[in-house]
Amino acid sequence: MAEGVLSPGVNLEAFSQAIAAIQALRSSVTRVFDCLKDGMRNKETLEGREKGFVAAFQESLHSVSRDLGELERLSNLVGKPSENHPLHNSGLLSLDPVQDKTPLYSQLLQAYKWSNKLQYHAGLASGLLNQQSLKRSANQMGVSAKRRPKAQPTTLVLPPQYVDDVISRIDRMFPEMSIQLSRPNGTSAMLLVTLGKVLKVIVVMRSLFIDRTIVKGYNENVHTEDGKLDIWSKSNYQVFQKVTDHATTALLHYQLPQMPDVVVRSFMTWLRSYIKLFQAPCQRCGKFLQDGLPPTWRDFRTLEAFHDTCRQ
Amino acid sequence: MEPETFLDHEMVFLLKGQQASPFVLRARRSMDKGGMPWHLRYLGQPEIGDKNRHALVRNCVDIATSDNLTDFLVEMGFRMDHEFVAKGHVFRKGIMKIMVYKIFRILMPGNTESIEPLSLSYLVELNVVAPAGQDVVSDDMRNFAEQLKPLVHLEKIDPKRLM
Amino acid sequence: MGVTCVAQVPVAEGKSVQQTVELLTRKLELLGAEKQGTFCVDCETYHTAASTIGSQGQTGKLMYVMHNSEYPLSCFALFENGPCLIADANFDILMVKLKGFFQNAKANKIESRGTRYQYCDFLVKVGTVTMGPSARGISVEVEYGPCVIANDCWNLLMEFMQSFMGSHAPGVPSVFGTKHDSVYGPADTMVQYMELFNKIRKQQQVPVAGIR
Repeated sequence: MAEGVLSPGVNLEAFSQAIAAIQALRSSVTRVFDCLKDGMRNKETLEGREKGFVAAFQESLHSVSRDLGELERLSNLVGKPSENHPLHNSGLLSLDPVQDKTPLYSQLLQAYKWSNKLQYHAGLASGLLNQQSLKRSANQMGVSAKRRPKAQPTTLVLPPQYVDDVISRIDRMFPEMSIQLSRPNGTSAMLLVTLGKVLKVIVVMRSLFIDRTIVKGYNENVHTEDGKLDIWSKSNYQVFQKVTDHATTALLHYQLPQMPDVVVRSFMTWLRSYIKLFQAPCQRCGKFLQDGLPPTWRDFRTLEAFHDTCRQ
Repeated sequence: MEPETFLDHEMVFLLKGQQASPFVLRARRSMDKGGMPWHLRYLGQPEIGDKNRHALVRNCVDIATSDNLTDFLVEMGFRMDHEFVAKGHVFRKGIMKIMVYKIFRILMPGNTESIEPLSLSYLVELNVVAPAGQDVVSDDMRNFAEQLKPLVHLEKIDPKRLM
Repeated sequence: MGVTCVAQVPVAEGKSVQQTVELLTRKLELLGAEKQGTFCVDCETYHTAASTIGSQGQTGKLMYVMHNSEYPLSCFALFENGPCLIADANFDILMVKLKGFFQNAKANKIESRGTRYQYCDFLVKVGTVTMGPSARGISVEVEYGPCVIANDCWNLLMEFMQSFMGSHAPGVPSVFGTKHDSVYGPADTMVQYMELFNKIRKQQQVPVAGIR
């Protein structure tokens, strides 16, 4: 490990000689420039002036090359630091003979192992989490965002015509569900979904991603006084406040950043199961009411009705 | 307030008892504005009053109702006497209401689409709904009527002389 | 408004009307229902005046004019098995004008008064039905606000009513049968009250234990 390093004594001597050589080199270089700066000193004859200058310049250049040669010789004596050690210069810590008093080196190795392991596990976890990601749009994928090609965020800038098409196809899919699309604020669409005579849902979209959803009763007002869709106020009925919470959960459950249209369709299919909100008893306890509320939860896969507290 | 246009369908219902005069109720609905309640109106006999009062006065009860009004009146024993369509403008000045409209005859009973005007002239009606005994408002009415001359001669007349 | 069911609760054996009402409201309060003021539903009966009978070929039909504190500006006019007109309060003045044709049977005026309770999305009104000076029975009205189709939530309503009325929970109100999937409205509630009041009037002669 320490082969390239000379014994400490010699090493130190060579170092001090080398430092002295550097100082000598510096002073001789300074002299060269001093000589150039001063130029030709005032002598009786022009000839004498030139001769004196050239002689002085030559002399100082010689001393520079001599000092440089000396420095090169000494630097070979000093030797190179080891380059193949995995911990680079910190590997030199292992040379400390008093291990017991300063266990720096073993601590350093331990820390190095830890950080290696941490990086490895973080990599595995990030791979797993990306499969089950709760982030709903492709451009929010955290670490990987930098590496992703620029084309990714296009799912957020789909042409309004495409969004209209997807929505109207879903509208036609379910006869008991009617979807009204409007764009009161620029390109983002807002949907007013009326499900039979059971409930109304306000859906705020960003491109084809559902941003927010509010569920209200069929007989409740969904517009503000100036006739716009009221996307802020909640339902007056506890049952629809509960369904609103579940619908928000569903938004996080149904997501597939590469195919936003499938997500909207899955969400609407799930929402449609509320057509029997007041008619379906709980699949677990068999009752209609629990704490005054009907089964407000619908299983994401089977669409079966459960009370909030009866779901698995 | 801005003048408005209106298009109303009015049906006049009678309830006959053993008394000499039948009980008359008017059921009116807007044909051009959806979601409005039906309007049921009772009008009493016009009272001429004396020279100091410049308008005819009659009792009036206005009721807003649901849209099954005609069925209900029939159930009560009323029968429809006649119907017409009124189309025109309504202006307001304070509590005064001025209506300028044409009356249309309904050619086929029940079909308010096929109508023809009764006359080329417009009817001008000026009325105020006020609590009983407030005859002073008739002064305002006369003052306003003066402004319309010579285009319109709005005068207090005795309707009995026309019958 | 939502779907409403109006029912009569018989007076408990050996108890007065007032005691039975207290029994019911205590059960509601135990369930977690909160008191929210009072309510009143009244009903006046009008006879078709004898003068019009014959000339119109009408039988002596009865017309009911009702009010409900839940709709303080409205007036409901009904015929049995006939249409229900919803009008504003001026309809009462018209009935005064019509007194030559329709006569108010003042002795038949009947009303239900009591307390209004809220439980979750349910509104429950327990009332004492009085005719003249005497208490005649108990009415219970249960409204489920979120739903507008009567038949959709009947089972749910039923389960709730059983939770505090026990075996006295009623059967399906007859107005539900004609609704199919049309939206339930305030007039449907008034028809139920009219039917309940008519039933109670007929029970007039039957002595009920504990009536004061």
